[in-house]
Amino acid sequence: MNESPSFDHRPDPELGAALRAALEPKDNQAAFVARVMAQYDAALERSSVAMFDVLASWFRPGMVAAAAALVVGFLFGRTVLNNRTESIDAALAPIEGPGLAALVTAQDPPDPSVVFTSLVEPQ
Amino acid sequence: MGPEDKALVAQTLAGDRASFGTLVERYAGQARRVARAVLGDPDDADDAAQDGFLSALVKLGQYDTRRPFGPWLMRIVANAATDRRRRRNVRRAEPLDTSLVGGGPRPDTMAVRSELNDRLRAALAELPERRRKAVVLFDVEGYSHAEIAGMLGIPEGTVRSEVFHARRRLRTLLADWKEPMR
Repeated sequence: MNESPSFDHRPDPELGAALRAALEPKDNQAAFVARVMAQYDAALERSSVAMFDVLASWFRPGMVAAAAALVVGFLFGRTVLNNRTESIDAALAPIEGPGLAALVTAQDPPDPSVVFTSLVEPQ
Repeated sequence: MGPEDKALVAQTLAGDRASFGTLVERYAGQARRVARAVLGDPDDADDAAQDGFLSALVKLGQYDTRRPFGPWLMRIVANAATDRRRRRNVRRAEPLDTSLVGGGPRPDTMAVRSELNDRLRAALAELPERRRKAVVLFDVEGYSHAEIAGMLGIPEGTVRSEVFHARRRLRTLLADWKEPMR
């Protein structure tokens, strides 16, 4: 056994070897590596599933928002293109007349031409 | 080894599974030994080493590639082992058997080496955790005092002191056992 000075800068190979032997795992290293890699795969899968869940949760509100934006854009654009001076409030105000009545009281699904006529008719 | 580690890190960050696997293979032995020095129990140590690798994977983007990878990883592994030890605070990972640490009877058999390993582990378990880490990282894994200081977040002089005190205890034990083995 080397009697090294108090603060030896060099590792002690003898003590190091003895400690290494005492701490060395008995089993195959490959089994441990495989175990870590299985956790890696599981973590990757979890993160993929989580990302899909997030996208799915965004999808429905996103579609509703897009539809609403289309309707508002259509009404706004129509107002501008017709050089109307009415405000957007007027464009969005409840529509009265036969078109609306037909839409509300109809037994059958609404005819798109009725709906669009009610929107296009001068107010 | 250094540049290759950095390349593997870069490839792992790019999503290359095999590169991460190579890093795990390369450092598995070291990580398991360091974790065992902290925890004692080999199963606990493997859990901690695994935690360390996965934690390192999550933090890989923070790794400064100008520095060596080993000390960065071992710091994470050692912390994972310490965390696990704290969580399981109620029991010692390896119960300290004072009859093993002290000068018990010396068996004149082929099991001497195995008995020495048991006594060394028991002696390690008796040391304060930081001292244990310091001596294993220095004498077993070959890291420098400066690197260990960075890993443990303590001054370099404190690392020297910890290694010195740990060695004094362990060398006494080892010398005690060398005589009958001759």
